[in-house]
Amino acid sequence: MSMFLAAAETASTPFPHLLTLLVLVPAVGSAVVALISKQRPDVCRQAAFLFSATAGALAVYLLWNFDVADGGFQFVESTTWVRDFGIGWRLGVDGISLFLVVLSGLLFPFVILAITPEHDPKPYYAWLLLLQAGSLGVFVALDLFAFFVFFEIVLVPMYFLIGSWGHGNRTYAAMKFFLFTMFGSALMLVGILALVATAADAIGAGATFDIRELAQADLATNTARLIFCAFALAFAVKVPIFPLHTWLPDAHTEAPTAGSVILAGIMLKLGTYGFVRFGLYLFPEASRWAAPVFLTLGVVGILYGAVVATMQRDLKRLVAYSSVAHLGFIVLGTFAMNSQGVTGGIMQMVNHGLSTGALFLLVGMIYERRHTREIAELNGLQRSAPIMAAVFTVVMLSSIGLPGLNGFVGEFLILNGTFIANRWYAVIAAVGVILAALYLLWAYQRVFHGTPRSVENESFADLRLREGLAVGALLVPIVVLGVYPKPMIERIEPSVAVLLEHIEARTGVAPAEGPTAERSTVEELFGAGHGDDASHGANAGKVDK
Amino acid sequence: MEFVVFLIAGAIVVGGAIGVLAFANPVHAALSLVATLFGVAVLFVAQNAQFLAAVQVIVYAGAIVVLFLFVIMLLGVDRSDDLRVEPIVGQRPLALLAGVGVLAASLVAVLSAGGSTATRTVRSTAVAIPTEEPDVTSLGRLLFTDHVLALEITAILLTVAVVGAVVLARRPGRDEPSVEADVEAEA
Amino acid sequence: MSLLASLAAQAAQPVTPVTSVLVETPSVDWWGLLPLILLAAPAMVLLHASSLLRRVFRGFYATASVGIAGTAAAFAIVQWFRVTDLDGGRGPYTTVASAYTVDGYSVFITVVLCVAVIVSSLVADGYLRREGLDGAETYALLLLSASGGVVMASANDLIVLFLGLEVLSIPVYVLAASHLRRSASQEAGFKYFILGAFASAFFLYGIALVYGATGSTNLGTIRQTLQDDPFVDGGALLLAGAAFLLVGFGFKVAAVPFHAWTPDVYQGAPSPVVSYMASGVKAAGFAGLVRVFDVTLAGQVRDWQPIVVGLAVLTLLGGSVLAVAQTDVKRMLAYSSISHAGFLLVGVAVASPEGAAAVLFYLAAYGLMIGGTFAVVTAVAGPGEQATGIDAFRGLGRRQPMLALGFTVLLFAQTGVPLTSGFFAKFGVIKAAVDGGWYWLAAVAMLSAVVGAFVYLRLVVAMFMVEDIDPHHGDGDVVAATPAPVAMPAALTLALAATVVATLVVGFLPGLLTDLAGDAVPVVLATLP
Repeated sequence: MSMFLAAAETASTPFPHLLTLLVLVPAVGSAVVALISKQRPDVCRQAAFLFSATAGALAVYLLWNFDVADGGFQFVESTTWVRDFGIGWRLGVDGISLFLVVLSGLLFPFVILAITPEHDPKPYYAWLLLLQAGSLGVFVALDLFAFFVFFEIVLVPMYFLIGSWGHGNRTYAAMKFFLFTMFGSALMLVGILALVATAADAIGAGATFDIRELAQADLATNTARLIFCAFALAFAVKVPIFPLHTWLPDAHTEAPTAGSVILAGIMLKLGTYGFVRFGLYLFPEASRWAAPVFLTLGVVGILYGAVVATMQRDLKRLVAYSSVAHLGFIVLGTFAMNSQGVTGGIMQMVNHGLSTGALFLLVGMIYERRHTREIAELNGLQRSAPIMAAVFTVVMLSSIGLPGLNGFVGEFLILNGTFIANRWYAVIAAVGVILAALYLLWAYQRVFHGTPRSVENESFADLRLREGLAVGALLVPIVVLGVYPKPMIERIEPSVAVLLEHIEARTGVAPAEGPTAERSTVEELFGAGHGDDASHGANAGKVDK
Repeated sequence: MEFVVFLIAGAIVVGGAIGVLAFANPVHAALSLVATLFGVAVLFVAQNAQFLAAVQVIVYAGAIVVLFLFVIMLLGVDRSDDLRVEPIVGQRPLALLAGVGVLAASLVAVLSAGGSTATRTVRSTAVAIPTEEPDVTSLGRLLFTDHVLALEITAILLTVAVVGAVVLARRPGRDEPSVEADVEAEA
Repeated sequence: MSLLASLAAQAAQPVTPVTSVLVETPSVDWWGLLPLILLAAPAMVLLHASSLLRRVFRGFYATASVGIAGTAAAFAIVQWFRVTDLDGGRGPYTTVASAYTVDGYSVFITVVLCVAVIVSSLVADGYLRREGLDGAETYALLLLSASGGVVMASANDLIVLFLGLEVLSIPVYVLAASHLRRSASQEAGFKYFILGAFASAFFLYGIALVYGATGSTNLGTIRQTLQDDPFVDGGALLLAGAAFLLVGFGFKVAAVPFHAWTPDVYQGAPSPVVSYMASGVKAAGFAGLVRVFDVTLAGQVRDWQPIVVGLAVLTLLGGSVLAVAQTDVKRMLAYSSISHAGFLLVGVAVASPEGAAAVLFYLAAYGLMIGGTFAVVTAVAGPGEQATGIDAFRGLGRRQPMLALGFTVLLFAQTGVPLTSGFFAKFGVIKAAVDGGWYWLAAVAMLSAVVGAFVYLRLVVAMFMVEDIDPHHGDGDVVAATPAPVAMPAALTLALAATVVATLVVGFLPGLLTDLAGDAVPVVLATLP
């Protein structure tokens, strides 16, 4: 475990306070946008894009300078925040959070560019930027207090986005979203404080909220399990895991398109990321203890989400329920607690963000044109909008998990890992893949195939250039990561390995690897043909430093 | 001797209290309250608390009962409430219950502490009054030593009360109708 | 008759000639009493000046009030450095026959009270002029009440504490009823007075019983007595006394089940006064509560802790659940303030220095939040405070975005959203509870915060997410009469801006205040004579 700390100390920081800057840029941007005159929506928009794109650029810079071989935290910063309580401004990135940071960095400028709000652009952009700052903060926080602050603060902009710019029953959806999530995190706060207090007793030093130190504390088994439950509840609501998911369809459906994209792309990942970073890392034994429950709930979520999605009449709601199913996969992979499963889970977080984000974007475009999301109202769109149909197909196939597209890689790794850990879960979950094909293809068939049966559907406009660029920007990673996932995997893997070593050291139980398992399994699966490229890529990263 | 005084004064106190409750005419009730207060004053004297006795007579029997009588006169002597109607249902049994409860609790508290009055007295030396000194003197001494701050703050308190009374007694100008009337007029 | 006889007997006795008895009056540290004097004396001067002089300029009284409270706060801050610096400074001490304590704790509360007076004076300025009630009395009474609060926070003697309580309360009774043309205000004042007097009686009886059990009203002596002999045989007497004291405090801080007056009084009383009630009166009440229970009766913690914990749970749940059912914003805030009192009681119940520090932080943070909140309510409610329903806030986000945004910050602070002072206030209390092993209590508190969140979110929804069009009255009709813009007097705007900024600054850098609160507490817990 000393590896973690050693890594933290030796991590070169090519750009001092890069992570702080990453969080601050959109936050400052939000304030700046709020100060621009309401009469100048174009200026608001440009400023918003500028700030969020700057954050995106910083995230890319981070990716570029990320040390591939290092599984520990990089770019670590640490400053005292509240001295008396052991609270610090501690930030750092490792392979687990790296791609989520990049996703948060890039998805926001993209959304700002692609979607224009229906009204009140100024506060809309201000809230979006605040949301970006919060999301980035969650993924880079290494301090439980800072993490909780960001985890909670993202509720506020999202609440406003849904409540002010949403459709239909938006205030109800916004309120439900806020209260559900707050309910979850209310107990997590108690859990955090209990962890800090008991860990302070266990370590013997003063209280600290630094997760790297907290992970070293020896807690009594039952205490750890209890605190884990408090954390798990918060994350389970946020993910959401099956019985706690009821806020999600409402929030997703009523949210404006940008809200849905961000919600699917980033907000849901706060929960799954929380499970990996704080669940597995801080409570290895308790996670192993609770794994059967979460594996079961994951599988239930996969099947339930799929079945309910099949029966939806509202296209957006269908996509929302498909999210429940996809997140079930991520939970499954996380709690398989082996290299393939966790790596697959992390990849799938990014993949789901890309594909479901793109799906919501497309549904939003359809809604914009037709002002309905009823599947029954839409038909034969392929005829009038062939390009959109093509794009929709690719995105949908990625969501289904077709080989060659990004969704496949993550799902395959998850199923592989789950199979090794507990084959029956994998068998049942695989059914979910088939169901996904069923509901998405069926929906596609109903909406796009056939001949348009109404004037509105006949005169349905195809993608405009700007929209095409927007969706196209999402298609690139969808395809690239599907064909060549190695650069991503080789950055995630070392951190997962460190995490699993930590779990093994703490619990004395080795991760359930397959009979032929070594840690290179993942690379063997996906990286075999690209050995040269891999070393090239790794070198490229180093040369730049 | 002391016991006889106690018996007589106690009878006056209890009799007066019963009178307050029993007389139908409020003026009579107020006057029997005076009897009760006098009885208490006598009991104070018997306990060597002359100052309290004097205060009892001057403040309670003098000022407060007179105030009572003023109010009774202002409201009309002949008015009497119909006692058969209970304004809040179940009020009286509950009041009885609560009264008995408080009495029981107080008795428990006092009796359980009663056995150890001796030790308490020892503890109370900080405020024990020298016996050869008249109690008015020692009271004055205490007020200007240990409790001088309380005395001064009482001064503030009285000022505050006077200011408050003046503020409340001030009537709104005649030309300014009440806010509710404003709104009604608008509607 | 018997009285006369006895008096005659007295006269017959040879009276020792009263030679001039030399009374050694206790030494008084005027410097220590300065903040108190600086609040009370200028208030009297203000009152006199207002009747003798013509008003110098518009808003003179409010300016004077702010100046007086500010001066008192400034001197208190100077004092702070003297009493909290244990090496170079004087350290905490008692004065005037050890009836008055000057320590970091009392100074902290003094500053909180002064700030409460400043905020509500700023709000009151525009309010009083709008209602045609302008005059010096309101400000004088506010200042006098604050001086009572200072006495409560500094009292080292139960009698002084009681007198402080009365000086604190009586002006507020009057202020609650001070809108003479509004019957709701009169009713509020009356209710508050009756129940407050009732609570005072309980309190006084409690003092008597505690005196009976320990032989002293001095907190230091009581504590010493109980320390020397923790199992005093007068246990029942002491506990009965403590229970009555708790009832008295419970009324003042509006703890369930002693909260019944709160909604009516908050609704009826003028909003600037309510602002002071929620910030100043609550602070003083908790100041006394902490000093009597957490400090003086620290040895009896096993006895009173379950009761205070029970009160805290009832207050938390009662406040937040009942708040949900309200449609009047002032009533809603009344119940929410009850729920906040529940959080504060959690801090008291855990009976630790951390808990007391958390209470101090909470009082300071909450005082600012609620001050700003009632500034907004004052402005929005309009003449005669007629518009206090949620509907009054409908569409405010569109009409007056800055006002709505400021209000939103304050509401989110009360919800406990991070990066506002309200979050760290809750955080501190929960941390103290968890550190003390009260996990379930912490969980109950957090869950009640979630329930309470609904209330604040409803207001935010009304401001930002509901169109001006009332769906029940005709659909699609553009509102015929857009409500008149909310008038924002400059002083009120200043108060609002200051409280919002303070809420955010403390939210981002809670260390600024935790250090102070932390410095204030151990001193009080450690150094009673």
